[in-house]
Amino acid sequence: MQRIYVHPLPVRIWHWINALGFVSMIVTGFQIRYIGLIDLMSFRTAVVVHDWIGFVLIGNFFIWLLFYLFSDKIRVYHPELSPMKHFRASFRQAMYYGYGIFKGEPNPHHVSVYEKFNSMQSMSYQVIMLLLVPIQFWTGVLLWDVKRFSGMIDLLGGVRVVDTAHVLIFIFFSGFIFMHIYLATLGHTRMAHIESMFTGYEEIEEEHGDAR
Amino acid sequence: MGGSRKVGAAASAAFHTDLMIAAWLAIALAMLAVTSMSARAADSALSQLDQQCLACHSAKGLEMKLADGDKISLQVDGAAFAKSVHSKIGCAVCHASTSFENHPPIKTKIAGSRAYSIERTKVCDTCHAAISKLYEGSIHASLFRDGNTWAPVCTDCHSPHAVKAKAAYEASTGAPCSKCHDPIFKAYASSVHGQATLACSSCHNAHDVSPATTGDQLKNACLGCHQDVLAAHQKWLPNAKQHFDAVSCPACHSPAAKRKVDLRLYDNVAQERVAEKEGVPEFESRVRSVDAKGAGLDAMALHSLLRGFNREGIDNKTTLRGRLEVSTGVEAHQLTRSAQAIRDCAKCHQQGADPFQSVTVSIVGPDGRPVRAGAKPEVLNSMISVDSVGGFYAIGGTRIKLLDWLLALAVLGGIGAPLGHMTVRWLFKKYAKRIGGKEDS
Repeated sequence: MQRIYVHPLPVRIWHWINALGFVSMIVTGFQIRYIGLIDLMSFRTAVVVHDWIGFVLIGNFFIWLLFYLFSDKIRVYHPELSPMKHFRASFRQAMYYGYGIFKGEPNPHHVSVYEKFNSMQSMSYQVIMLLLVPIQFWTGVLLWDVKRFSGMIDLLGGVRVVDTAHVLIFIFFSGFIFMHIYLATLGHTRMAHIESMFTGYEEIEEEHGDAR
Repeated sequence: MGGSRKVGAAASAAFHTDLMIAAWLAIALAMLAVTSMSARAADSALSQLDQQCLACHSAKGLEMKLADGDKISLQVDGAAFAKSVHSKIGCAVCHASTSFENHPPIKTKIAGSRAYSIERTKVCDTCHAAISKLYEGSIHASLFRDGNTWAPVCTDCHSPHAVKAKAAYEASTGAPCSKCHDPIFKAYASSVHGQATLACSSCHNAHDVSPATTGDQLKNACLGCHQDVLAAHQKWLPNAKQHFDAVSCPACHSPAAKRKVDLRLYDNVAQERVAEKEGVPEFESRVRSVDAKGAGLDAMALHSLLRGFNREGIDNKTTLRGRLEVSTGVEAHQLTRSAQAIRDCAKCHQQGADPFQSVTVSIVGPDGRPVRAGAKPEVLNSMISVDSVGGFYAIGGTRIKLLDWLLALAVLGGIGAPLGHMTVRWLFKKYAKRIGGKEDS
């Protein structure tokens, strides 16, 4: 069993703040949108908490961004430029999750310091971190003070357009978070990936090792 | 001797009787003089010429028959006129065309009392040109120009021979506004402002009265007195400025009122509400063309209506901006103390909230008042509304149903897919040996 350091401290700090933040955002988001159906807290409390945590998450995003911008670890996010190679690797990974894992076949992806994501993760996290999360933050800020940003909101087609974009991404994250947690349990033990996000070290077995 | 004493006694008795009668007469005359003097005392402020006019025109029942068969009273209450602000200028200034030579002017018969009131406004204009200009921009003047026979002109509000100083208007009676707007005044009288005896003109202005639901005059009237109100709202109300824009003050401060949403056609280039072009009203015909049955605009019809307005010229020039307001003018005047105002966000921000059950679409009509068309509440919850009602959204209250289904699907998928995957893994593990695979760790 080999231990490699795949999650540097800033990434781990960012991850757990992000995790708590996103869960809170989803819970308060549900409360804001479905008052009457869910009554965990008042609408106003939900809005205020949602706003504050939103700003914390935006700040937190910059921990992630600055770390990777000024670290060679950014290579973990480098896209595979050969579409054929990327497609084949993704297909292999999908086949593993869809069939091979049931038969106990080894994970086709081997975690290393600069390749901690498998090709499906790599693509997903590029979209999530560079597209969905920034759009969610941006639309969130616009909705936080609709009047202050009315010029931008009008340019985008109105408050309902901005809100719909925000809600669509909220819907994505509401589904994604369950998948994310489940996939994190698919290491060589159920807690292996989760523990590595605390310690920074991933234990590598010859035939195992999986998505976060 | 005895006979002469008898005659003397009789003469004396007659003398006493005459004296008594004379005394009573003197007292009666004196009382009459005092009454008459006090009656004339008020008139004494008037010039001799005015008093000469009043000598005839104070007579009760003095009236003139008009061409339309109606009658106009010619009686002037001298005392009231003496107290009026016009007493200083006297009768002749306003009635300059009348002189002893041509009086009474019977050559041309006055058409009717309304026609006479309208004709007399020219006389008012000669001194009150600035006020007349304010009136010209008012909803009252718009209605008058449109031929509304109830639209007030000067003398409908200002009793011509008893014009009071501005400060003397009695806020507690609502006069003269209550003459036409009595139901509104009754509602207002018991409101927080009515009890504080604020006059109607405090909010609506006296002469440049604008339509209540167009323009910002009324909102500005609220903010004119309640200057720190935005800061007070910002302390507890998220997006307070947006609420100030999209929600009328009475929508929360008249808590018993029924609320509704008015979707207003808005010109994004001119940055103002779309108004009917002078002389070519098109809104109602456009509404009929997309909602022939008059059942209320549905989401598609509303989308088509908007497309119709955008057909010529710049794309997306015309959009819809919503405003939450109270249903009637009466309800708009039932303002309560701020402690009783709606502070519960859930009153609006939840599915099925009452303000979103009544929807209208409006344009500014030729007289400045909104012209409205009914719309179905579904226009606020339809996916099509993302495009057509992009400018109005109340979180929770007007949410799009399709997105609710998508969310349910995402959550069920997010939970269901791992559960399914786990189940298949468990089944494979259980039957691994039979199908020739390895046991999963």
